Order: sequence, then structure tokens, then C-alpha cells
Amino acid sequence: MLSRTAMGLFWMSRYVERAENTARLLDAGRRMEALPATRAERSTEWESIVIASGCKSTFPHDIEAATQDQVVGHLFFDLDTPSSIASCLTAARENARAMRNAITSEVWDATNEALARFRTMSPDAPHGDLAERLDWVKERGALVRGAIDGTLLRNEGYQFIELGKWLERMDATARLLDVKYHVLLPHAYEVGQGVDYLQWLQILRAAGAARAYRHIYRRAIDAKGVADLLVLNPLSPRSLVTCSDGIAQSLTGVGVRLAPQRAVLNRAYAMRDALHRLSVDEIIEFGLHEWLTERIAEANMLATEISKAYGFDAPLEAEESQVQSQ
Amino acid sequence: MFNEMYLGDDVRPEYKIIADWVAREGVDALLAKRAEAEALFRRVGITFAVYGEGGDPERLIPFDMIPRVFGAQEWRRIEAGCIQRTRALNAFLADVYGAREILKAGIVPAELVTGNSAYEPVMEGYTPPLGVFSHICGVDLVRVSPDETYVLEDNCRTPSGVSYLLQNREVMERMFPPLFASGQIRPVGQYGDMLAEAMAEVAPPNCPGEPTLALMTPGHFNSAYYEHSFLADLMGIELVEGQDLFVDADVLYMRTTRGPERVDVLYRRIDDAFLDPDVFRADSLLGVSGIIAAMKAGNLTVVNAPGSGVADDKAVYTYVPDMVRFYLGEEPILPNVPTWKCGKAEDLAHVLDNIDTLVVKEVHGSGGYGMLIGPTSTKAECAAYAERLKAAPHEFIAQPTLALSTSPVLTESGLVPRHVDLRPYVISGRETRLIPGGLTRVALREGSLVVNSSQGGGVKDTWVLEDGGSV
Repeated sequence: MLSRTAMGLFWMSRYVERAENTARLLDAGRRMEALPATRAERSTEWESIVIASGCKSTFPHDIEAATQDQVVGHLFFDLDTPSSIASCLTAARENARAMRNAITSEVWDATNEALARFRTMSPDAPHGDLAERLDWVKERGALVRGAIDGTLLRNEGYQFIELGKWLERMDATARLLDVKYHVLLPHAYEVGQGVDYLQWLQILRAAGAARAYRHIYRRAIDAKGVADLLVLNPLSPRSLVTCSDGIAQSLTGVGVRLAPQRAVLNRAYAMRDALHRLSVDEIIEFGLHEWLTERIAEANMLATEISKAYGFDAPLEAEESQVQSQ
Repeated sequence: MFNEMYLGDDVRPEYKIIADWVAREGVDALLAKRAEAEALFRRVGITFAVYGEGGDPERLIPFDMIPRVFGAQEWRRIEAGCIQRTRALNAFLADVYGAREILKAGIVPAELVTGNSAYEPVMEGYTPPLGVFSHICGVDLVRVSPDETYVLEDNCRTPSGVSYLLQNREVMERMFPPLFASGQIRPVGQYGDMLAEAMAEVAPPNCPGEPTLALMTPGHFNSAYYEHSFLADLMGIELVEGQDLFVDADVLYMRTTRGPERVDVLYRRIDDAFLDPDVFRADSLLGVSGIIAAMKAGNLTVVNAPGSGVADDKAVYTYVPDMVRFYLGEEPILPNVPTWKCGKAEDLAHVLDNIDTLVVKEVHGSGGYGMLIGPTSTKAECAAYAERLKAAPHEFIAQPTLALSTSPVLTESGLVPRHVDLRPYVISGRETRLIPGGLTRVALREGSLVVNSSQGGGVKDTWVLEDGGSV
């Protein structure tokens, strides 16, 4: 398939996933703001959301005094913010439009409709709507994924869509988990108590994993358990391990024909194997925040190498096409 | 005025199938179906883009539900005429970039060719595979009576609109299957195969095996992007942009996830000027450096060949009947609209004397812009235009105002006649042929002669009947 088509499908998929994940981040902020015990201190929930979203540099207000209005304005409605829901829905739709030949009309309808409906939303509506709106964004993501799952041929293009989804989700889960690092605990509380517990709970809820936690661990929520669920547990649909499995699998499905493609597949498997071998104690010892920061960088690096290996940004060298596959 | 449905008060035999159908369904039911048709068009995304007017830039071309019909006999003449004309135009193109016999014989003035902005000196001495320059040629036709069909203009560069023709039929088939089950209406669905076959036939001499075909679009912001993606899909070939292509050692490649893949025949839907910045406009970001070199090295066929536009100029148009006689030794089957060349003194005098009854056009204009329609213009407008004429007579031609035929369209108050034209798409590979039908454009405003979609025009399904059908 044309490299540009592969790129379009890959990015369409990333943007759909990113819109949903930005919604989940905002949802985490909304939930933490509602916690009772932080009122005496400087509240840092919204600041932590902006930092975790990677949008600190574009945030136009005083970040230490960030309010819900400002953050929602920036991450939901602002077309100048690359990761805002507005930008993601627009970019997903533009990529889908340019790739009409490679997707079904149902996938197109789902992406097209998402943007059309979004455009009817007003940023000035009362805040009570935020939860509802975030749910709506998540629903749209589910619709697109459903149309992809139900109607697309399982060909190379589908594998690039999968690849985009897993890479984006890996990045997003790492960022969501990292929110907790940036939220300050009120002085009166110590790690492992009251608010600390509630904050972890809100992270789980934003990941849609609070109940799963109960089912799997059957104990009170703590940092170790959350990290295990969202990083190492292959049962979780959003854990880093699950995402790395998905990346390795879809890259295999895309196919390996050239030397750089072989290299990038090896790298993906190395990343996956390393995650499978790791224990949660090792991560905590290393420092969760530091470890997550490394994973975010690693996922980015892998994405860059994938685009190079499959010719997204530069022509593939003619002589390399002679390299034999398997 | 010729209404194609009637002869006096009687329904013409060709349209009996329509009259019966409308009587059976009833106007109200057809109106209700129209909304369904529109939803289908929007669903498949058959839109054209209009920028700069606000709102959603993607518009639907209005679709009229009442098909236009040609009898088997009528069609045979149109078909033969279009094939003849296209063969002559291709012979002319091969000649002007080659031996220039027709110029030497003094039949077409040399300055009309070499001084033409569509003439591409870079093509001199190049002979495309099978000698075909214009692989897809749109011949625009108008009727004024049952026996008189004129060629209004030729489109030798990259004629568009065939996707509407095919979609119109698909929508009609989907909504009214029994009409087609009768077997009286000749199918048009073979267009994609016919074009892909012709493209394979004109594979370049150095093509290493089964030729790889691709369709090149300026990109998804182009107003005809829908058609480009539709045609690529229809033929099962890649839809490429300039950024997907590169030339290495005079061979054209597309960038794929499997590495570079050779392209042998490129159906480009991008103007000459943007095709290759090495040769044409150096600032073109849409084109690909080295395409022309690859073509001349015998490694690539460009469909349609660059420089084909020199044959569809309005001044060259007047000589097409002479080309038919010169190259084919035949009499033209489909005549030109009588045309006065204002560059000739006696023609200019005639045009100036009768300007209020004529249509005067700029030789290099297109799309209905910059022309004068005498009968609907004021005296002052005619006088002003006459001054422009006198200043540069070579720049203008004039034609009589034709009473274009009408075909019925569906409205709230029943069927009403509206003016129509027809564009069949003639494909040239080893043979020259066309699908039975064409794109019928209709001026939906009462009395209007302008069929352009940007100015209130719509489209209709066009039927060609089998021998013995309906009649």
C-alpha cells in the first residue's frame, strides 16, 4: 500500500484514540477537583492535568492557578492546542477524508459525524455539562472503533490502524498514571491515607478501571496495585503491557520486507519482552514518575522509527527493497 | 424548439419508456424518491467542493430523476461521429508534434498551433505508444432537432464528470430496478474496465511486464477529488499524489510500505502546468520532477499526454472538420456549430453587423466566462463588446445562438422542459470506443442555456436503448 495511505490510517487512528484519552485526562481532573479535603491548600488538580497532557508550553494562563474553565477551554475546544479534543476530531476526520478509498463508509460516517456534532457544541455552556460531554467523546471513540472492527478488511491498512491505536494508548496510559505524581497531597495527609487513596481511585475511574481493580486485586486501592493494573497486567485493555503486545502484533501483521522494518519490529518485541519481565516493585524502586517518563519517550521514539521504516516521511531506498523477508 | 420527448403532441417512440414509467409511478411518488436519491448521493460522498462561499464547501450537483433517452439509431450516429472526431484529433496531435503535414499543407495556420499557449514544445518529436495523445476525450454535443446534432467543443486534456454519469446510473438502478430488468437500456458499468484496458494497451515500450497503472490527483482539496478517488477505486489502482511519486534514473516510482514500486501508466488528473517542475511551472508543489524525462525515455505513459490541449482550443476547433477530411479521408459525421473566425476580415464584418443575434466567445476562454450572448444583452453591452472585438479580432469567434433541445425534468408541478447538452467520453487505446451514454447536463432554471454546475446546472441519467427497445 502507498506509504501515505498507511500514514493517513495510522494518524486517523491515533487521533481518534487521543481524543478519547484527552477526555479521560479531563475526567480525572474533574473527579479530583471534587475531592473534599484539598480546600485549604493550593489546588493542583488542573495544573497536573495540563502537565500530564504535555500541553504545559502552550497553556496560555498562569498554570499554578489553572482553573477548570481554562483547562477545558484549552484541552477541549482550542483548535490551536495539538492534543485538544477539537484538534483531534478535526485531524481524525481530515485523515479519514483523504483516505476514503481505504476505509468503509461506516468508518467514514463515524469520524465525519463526530466532528459535525462537535461543531454544534458551545464552549460557553454551563459546567454541569462537562461530565456528559466527556462521556460523549468516549462514545464517539467507541463508535469509530466499532465501525473499524465490524467493517474493515483485516489487511495491511487495518494493521496500521491497530498500530496507531496501541501506540497512542500506551502514551496516554502512561500520562494518566503520571497525573498522580503532579498532584500535591495536602500537608495533613500522608501517602497511603485518605486523600492519597481517593486520588488513586479517581485515576482508576478515569481509566475506566475502578471495578476491574476490585475484581482482580480484592484489596484496597494503593499505588502498587494501580501501577500493576495499568502497567503490567495483561488483562487490562489499557495497560502498558497490553499496548506493547498490540504494537508487536500489529507490526507483525503489517509485514516486514525491508531492513529498517526488521529493526523496528525487533525493537517493539524488545520493549514488550522487557515489560513482561518487570515487577511492580522494580518500577516503584526506580520511581514511578521517572519510569513513566522513560516509557513515554520510548513510545515516541518507536513511532518515529515506524514512520521512517514504512516511508511516511522520506522515500524508501530502492536497493533496500531487495532485502528478503522471513 | 426541439423537445426530445415529443413530436408534436405525441410522445416520441424513444421516450415511450419514460412516459409509461412516469404515468405508472406518479409525479408525487417520484418527488418523494428524489429525496432518497439525494441521500444516496450524499452517502457515497459524490460532492464537488465550492470554496469561499461559507458553509459546508461540499455540495451536491442537483440530480434530475427523469432520464434522457437516445434510440439505438440516434446513438449509432453519435457514437460513429465521436469516434471519428477523436481519431482525427489524435492524428492531429501526433502530426503537430511530429511531421506537421497539416501545417505544411496549409490547412491549419501554423501560428494557431505554435503560438498556442497549450502547445508544448517539449513534446516535439515524441510519439506516445500507439500514437495516442488524448486517451480520454470528452466531446460536448448539442441537439437542435431530431436530425441535427452539433459538436460544441472538444475536451482533449482531462475531461471530468464521468463519475456523475456512472453514479447517476447506479442510483437509478438502485431505486427503479424493474426499469433496467427489462433489458432495453444498455449498461454503462463497463467504463472502468474499458479505461483500465486502454491504459494497459498504451504501456510504455520499456514496461517490464504487466503494467502498473496509477491515477494522480492534486489532492483531497481539489474540487474533483471525489471523481479521482471514485475512478481509482473503480479500476482498482492506486490513487497517488505528487508526494507519493519520485523519478529515479528516468523511471517513475510510488512510495509504498513495501518500498518503491514502479509505475508504468499514469492517468494524471492534474494540469500540464503542474505536472513536472523541471519542464513546466518550476513552482509546482503538486508535480513530480522527471516525469517528462521518464516519458520520453520510454519508461512511462502519461494519460492524457501533455500538450493535448492544443487540439481543443476554440480557434483550432473550427478546423476539426478539415482534420477529419485530411487524416481520415472521410466527411465529418457530426458537424461543428457554424463559426465565424473574427480574425478573418469578412467574418469580422459579419459578426459586427449581427452581434445582437450571435454568441461571441474568447478563443482561449472556458467555462462560459467572458462571452457575449447577443440576444440577451443590451445595446450598450453589445457595443462595448464590439469595441473589444475590433481591438483584437484574432481573440474571438462567434456562433449563432442555437435553440438547444430540451428534455423533461421533474418539478413540483410535473414535467417541464429544460435545455440539455451531452458529453460522451471517448476512450482511445488500441481501438477508439465509448460506453453507450454520456453525461447529460441540464440547465435547471427556466429558459437558461447555461448547464454548468456552478451556475444552476444539474445532471441526468442518460439512456441508450437496445435495438428494438421501446420503439
